Amino acid sequence: MLKTFFAFSLCTVFWGSLNAAETAREPINDRYCTTCHGADGRGNEGVQAPRLAGMEPWYLRRQLQNFRADVRGVHPEDREGIAMRPMATKLTDASIDDIIDWVSSWEYVPAEATIDGDPARGRNLYSGCAVCHGGSAEGNESLGAPALAGQNDWYLLTQLKNFMAGYRGAHPDDSYGAQMRTMVNTLRNEAGILNVVSYINTLSR
Amino acid sequence: MSKQVTRREFLNLISAAGGTAAALKAGSALGLLPNTAQAASLDLKAANASSRKIAILGAGLSGLTIAYELSKVGYDCTILEASHRPGGRIFTIRHGDLIDEIGNRQYCQFDDEPHMYFNAGAARIPSTHRNLLAYCKELDIDLEIFINENKTSYVQDDALLGGKPIRNIDYTTHTRGFLAELLAKSLDNAEMDQPFTDAEAETLMGIISSFGDLGEDHLYKGSFRAGYASGGFLKHGVQKDIIAFRDLLKTPMGRQLLNANEGDTGPVLLQARGGMDRIIQGFTNHVGHQIRYRSMVNAVQVKDDGVEISYDQDGSRHLLQADYCFNCIPSHLMTGISNNFPSQYINALKYIRRGTAYKAAFQAKQRFWEEEDIYGGISWMNNPSNQIWYPTAGIHKQKGILLGAYDYGNGELHTAMTQQQRIEAHLTDGEKIHPNYRNLVEKPITIAWHRMNHMLGCSARWERSRSGWTQEEEELYHHLQQPVNGRHYMIGDQVSMHSAWQESAVMSAQWALADMDQRLRVQVDE
Ligand SMILES: Cc1cc2nc3c(=O)[nH]c(=O)nc-3n(C[C@H](O)[C@H](O)[C@H](O)COP(=O)(O)OP(=O)(O)OC[C@H]3O[C@@H](n4cnc5c(N)ncnc54)[C@H](O)[C@@H]3O)c2cc1C
Ligand code: HEC
Ligand code: HEC
Repeated sequence: MLKTFFAFSLCTVFWGSLNAAETAREPINDRYCTTCHGADGRGNEGVQAPRLAGMEPWYLRRQLQNFRADVRGVHPEDREGIAMRPMATKLTDASIDDIIDWVSSWEYVPAEATIDGDPARGRNLYSGCAVCHGGSAEGNESLGAPALAGQNDWYLLTQLKNFMAGYRGAHPDDSYGAQMRTMVNTLRNEAGILNVVSYINTLSR
Repeated sequence: MSKQVTRREFLNLISAAGGTAAALKAGSALGLLPNTAQAASLDLKAANASSRKIAILGAGLSGLTIAYELSKVGYDCTILEASHRPGGRIFTIRHGDLIDEIGNRQYCQFDDEPHMYFNAGAARIPSTHRNLLAYCKELDIDLEIFINENKTSYVQDDALLGGKPIRNIDYTTHTRGFLAELLAKSLDNAEMDQPFTDAEAETLMGIISSFGDLGEDHLYKGSFRAGYASGGFLKHGVQKDIIAFRDLLKTPMGRQLLNANEGDTGPVLLQARGGMDRIIQGFTNHVGHQIRYRSMVNAVQVKDDGVEISYDQDGSRHLLQADYCFNCIPSHLMTGISNNFPSQYINALKYIRRGTAYKAAFQAKQRFWEEEDIYGGISWMNNPSNQIWYPTAGIHKQKGILLGAYDYGNGELHTAMTQQQRIEAHLTDGEKIHPNYRNLVEKPITIAWHRMNHMLGCSARWERSRSGWTQEEEELYHHLQQPVNGRHYMIGDQVSMHSAWQESAVMSAQWALADMDQRLRVQVDE
């Protein structure tokens, strides 16, 4: 397996001699995502890892590539992004393809609401978002804006806070993140964030 | 800014009301008789033919305890384990083993020899952990003494004596000497509002003097306890130079060093000879055939008359029906598994925070520490790698396995590093104690529990504040301890008030077994 070989050869460079004849090893693959992202990729609040099931393949690919290229999850205050980034660092293009196939085999089940905000106020705020994310927050591939409906609300909160604080979307190579970052300021503050996400909770794709 | 404490102030401090005064109350210690309770003896009712199917989620120590006990009384147990190995946080690493850190998988390259192993999780068993020890005895597990404090090991802090490592014995001998001198002076002072009788004062002074090895004049002038500068056997010993107290105060490490034999590590400590996973093997010798490996639970549904579990194994989905279910999956992973638990139960699972712990180890090409009179024990460094543990396994053999870093409770720093950065950090830290360290060690492994597959953490953290358990926390805890519908029990050290110990995992299992047994007996009576 290419990946194993790569890790192995790194060690050799670093530590000089290694015994070539190895005992039988426990085989590994890159389908380890559900430990964090929950059963069938439905998200796990306990480790703050969001729902992957139902995610658009183009968006999933872009995020994995961004994490892998240190474009996302590098800001020192981006706690959760820092947890995710090394999970993508060693993924090959082939394993990203494989993961996308795997993720699309999971049933899309919208996440349960866990927050209390004011969806009526959120509705007004959301009108500016709909241009890109769609009226039902169903996403829009041609604009590069992902679906938001059905995503874990606690995760959406973190992202909006991170965009606002510049923890996400500030990297020079993150052009999609940068677009989003300019939009987040229309929410003004944490209350705005809470309300808009409460409204997104009422939408379904 | 440093403030000089005058002698007067010091005296006032220690004689202040509420301190010594409260502790002096006569007869207050009658409740301190040692607790002589024995290990729990479970007297479980034999399984009933119509409801004897048990599902155990996770082959951690608590899950294995359940399997072992219930198998004895005729239950039919199945253990679902997501990993390729049993034991969870009891993990001994040897030649060829996979360290399944997500994003940083490693295979251990240690030489393939019986003494070349590393306990990456649990390592010590206090002699008071009698339930665990009772299983060790019952399962015929060979135990040996674990050496925690070793006075010949080192203490190193860049701020102390220019970063030069000193022996633990130098640090502790002198620190005790100076502490004792301070105490003796305060007791000597006639002006002090004397709370002691003459006899008490004499006894106390004797203790103080001996604690610090003071001279007749109650002053500390160095001690042979720190060993000799030269001689000592065929010639008179020559006393080592004293290290000034002011110099010793450059490091805060006394907090750790003087506590080595207190609290949880106060009792004699034991370990399983050959590696802590011998304990797990003791259980799997009996119930190993019940374990389905690489079986990751993805849903738990509690029904009126049992529990239905869905899990993935070999790329396909399976169902397991059971009458009872015992679950030691870490709470922060359980929150990502579909379930129909009541909301308060889910709140309790979500409330617990996951702890961090980090360890690293090297193979040493030669046992250089033994040439420095070190046999087992711990050297302490005031840097992130923090500890070096010297193995007791394989004394006087050519090679050995050293713990090169142990950051308990705050392993995030190393966790966030790449493998190469971690190793370089430990080499840089370790060579402050052993100058040639970098060339003497090889084949590193690192274990970042926060990223270990199917674990993602160390010990459950219930308490959010330093001032102890809040009422809310107590309530959530007791709620989580109770079974859902009398059918589904959460177990593991996470369902205890003393997490991060194997004893707690065992006791949580015993609690659940006793509870189930009691319910069954009530049903029969009705
Ligand atoms: C670094 C470190 C040092 C420690 N030092 C000591 C010590 O010196 N002395 C001491 O007594 N204790 C120590 N402990 C604590 C001790 O290891 C634990 O208390 C004990 O092992 C916990 O057992 P458990 O039954 O709770 O299960 P765990 O060990 O938590 O096991 C849980 C099991 O669930 C499995 N699992 C997870 N997800 C799934 C799923 N979806 N489906 C199926 N299975 C799943 C896991 O793979 C694992 O096997 C230490 C722990 C660590 C990490
Ligand atoms: C150690 C836990 C962990 C593992 C393992 C893990 N992730 Fe993540 N992942 C996270 C966390 C936490 C986040 C949230 C990051 C944030 O809040 O910015 C995340 C975020 C993501 C995102 C961004 C989602 C979005 O809507 O933008 C994607 C995509 C993702 N992970 C895919 C994966 C895939 C695919 C795998 C397996 C190869 C994987 N993750 C493994 C923890 C993990
Ligand atoms: C100009 C188009 C545009 C507008 C308007 C816009 N967004 Fe976005 N948004 C994006 C893009 C593009 C991304 C993807 C960024 C990336 O790929 O990292 C995104 C990402 C997000 C994410 C992260 C999703 C995830 O899974 O991580 C959230 C949350 C979000 N937007 C919410 C909003 C909200 C709320 C508004 C309204 C205030 C809004 N967006 C307005 C373009 C837009």
